[in-house]
Amino acid sequence: MPSIAQKKICLLGEFAVGKTSLARRFVEGRFDDRYLSTIGVKISRRVIERSSGNLNLLVWDLSGSDEFNDQIQANYLRGSSGALIVCDLTRRETLAGFQRYADRIRAVGLDIPLVFIGNKMDLVEERAISDAELQSVAETFQSPCLLSSAKTGENTETAFLRLAEMMEARG
Amino acid sequence: MKSPPSDNTSSAAPSGRDVEPLDSVRSILLADVRRSIRELERRFDAFQGQAHSENESLSGQVGDLMVEAERLRLLTRELDNWSRDLKPEFEALRRKAQADSEGLIARITPVLSDMVGRTIRNSPNEMAEALGPVMGEAIRVQIRDSRKDMVEALYPIIGETVQKSVAEAVREFQRNIDSQLKRTFGPEGFLRTATARLRGVSAAQLALRDALPFSIREIFLIQRESGLLLAHSHPGTSEIVDSDIISGMLTAIRDFVKDSFGQGQNEDELDEVQYGEQRIIIQSGRAAYLAMVITGVEPEGLRARLHTFVSELHVKYESALKQYRGDPATLPNLQPQLARLVTDIGGGETGPKKMSLAMRWGLAGLGLLGLLLIALACFYLQFTIALYPMAFPSPTPTNTFTPTTTPTATSTPTFTPIPTGTPTFTPTPTFTPTLTFTPTFTPSPTLTFTPSATPTPYKAFAARSVWVRPSPDFAELRVDVLLVNTPVKVLSVYDIWMEVEWSDGAGYHRGWVPAEWITLREPVPAERVTPTPTQ
Repeated sequence: MPSIAQKKICLLGEFAVGKTSLARRFVEGRFDDRYLSTIGVKISRRVIERSSGNLNLLVWDLSGSDEFNDQIQANYLRGSSGALIVCDLTRRETLAGFQRYADRIRAVGLDIPLVFIGNKMDLVEERAISDAELQSVAETFQSPCLLSSAKTGENTETAFLRLAEMMEARG
Repeated sequence: MKSPPSDNTSSAAPSGRDVEPLDSVRSILLADVRRSIRELERRFDAFQGQAHSENESLSGQVGDLMVEAERLRLLTRELDNWSRDLKPEFEALRRKAQADSEGLIARITPVLSDMVGRTIRNSPNEMAEALGPVMGEAIRVQIRDSRKDMVEALYPIIGETVQKSVAEAVREFQRNIDSQLKRTFGPEGFLRTATARLRGVSAAQLALRDALPFSIREIFLIQRESGLLLAHSHPGTSEIVDSDIISGMLTAIRDFVKDSFGQGQNEDELDEVQYGEQRIIIQSGRAAYLAMVITGVEPEGLRARLHTFVSELHVKYESALKQYRGDPATLPNLQPQLARLVTDIGGGETGPKKMSLAMRWGLAGLGLLGLLLIALACFYLQFTIALYPMAFPSPTPTNTFTPTTTPTATSTPTFTPIPTGTPTFTPTPTFTPTLTFTPTFTPSPTLTFTPSATPTPYKAFAARSVWVRPSPDFAELRVDVLLVNTPVKVLSVYDIWMEVEWSDGAGYHRGWVPAEWITLREPVPAERVTPTPTQ
């Protein structure tokens, strides 16, 4: 029997929005990123301290590449307790990923907490998505939206902890 | 120099009286213009002067440049001449250097070799670090460009390495077999042979099988959908650190393989992964699957055992296994069951494989049966040896019967067969405890006797195991056996014979035995002694 509680969470988003960098910021990695391009997923782990006790967060970083079909991703999503959906603030087209991945989660029958992340907030000059637009999509799913930067580390930890908090609230 | 502009504003000459005011007005109106004109004239003059002087200066410089150009032209011509002159010399030098390159190399090589050798001796680590990347790249390039040459160059090394490795593996295998053979011929060996027979294989097959040891390194119970680790056991010391991540990745690989090769249509699943000597045996259930990391040859029936285990687990805990979302409180402690499974399969890293309880009982029964058979054989042998003199009597027997008052009686029969067939009896008239008699007779089939009519019990017991006959005659058939130390009742005495009665589990027995094998606890009354025919 596992000694502490464990939760599986998924990182989703279009190609090159910075999912892996966010995960790398948050976890102590063991496996090489090659797994992402070979089987479409890389799993990392971090134990976080909560008021209710330690929580083992297993982060499934799913590839945003189209090489991996929906069925495989659907399998990887099963059994998740929460998900982080990421877009790139400098690429407008990645905003559509919010809706797409949230729909995919619902399609596999999961009703789990979601946290939307607008990544690369450090690239202020190149920003192509406004706060209002992000907020609008997030509100559709009644989920929080955070701006983050995997480069500077800003809000990275917060996003994961926020999701952990929401998962705990669900029980 | 330009003249000031004329004032032509008036078309007609004015009268003398009008001229003065007009001039005054004109001078007032045109004063500024005239001043400007004069200033411009002054500037123009200054500029003209400056231009002139600069022109003169430039003319001088141009002259200098022309002189310089001429000098350079001459110099170039001179250089051309030199070049033409030097070209043959340079060509000659080049030829000379080319011709002497071998000599140059010969002179430099020892110096370079010495330098490299000294550096390697003094700073081996630095040298290795410096050459490492280059060596790797050089080998790669060499393999790419001349693979055949590299293969030929490396063959002796690789061949020897492979040979050495194979030889070591074979030696290890041989050591294992030797060890097994030693055990086979030891006290443990018989047990192992019996075990092998019970398992339906020969001892040699079992020894060979045991030479390839099977061990379980890790065992995981993983939730099928999420890949969350439900339980984990590792019988040895080599624990995989990130067992929870391993569980996730294994689940991802299973899903990936299933979707890639089965297109998610059929129920086939990945049931084995092999990496070097290690294998991961996977047994799936509806809610969870078992992954067992093993080395060696899996024992027969392993998969069936795992299937049974997973099925039983689902029967008991399917709901908990399926609904587990990471909270350990909602999950039963399955670790002991995994540990028990490992013990049952017998794949621990140390120690021989254990037998099942039924098998142990069977072997114990066989052992007891064997011991019983040995005891019976010993008894039969002892009995046969004891009765041998009676069955095959010696040619000059003597019989000494010495009953005493003590419970122990010693009798030594001595027979003297008389070929004439005439019996001679010398019996004692009464049977007293101190009486000693030495009868000599020849058993005759015509001999008659009359035993006592009413048996009276007298306590006695068999001194040895002895054949029992229906009448006091060695020619009679042996109808029974009186076992040693069996309590008997002496019913009558005739000559060297005693009629005894005893009981055992099969009921009462009665018959005649030689008196010498009966130890009396009390004397037999005289009236129970049948007189001999000569009396």
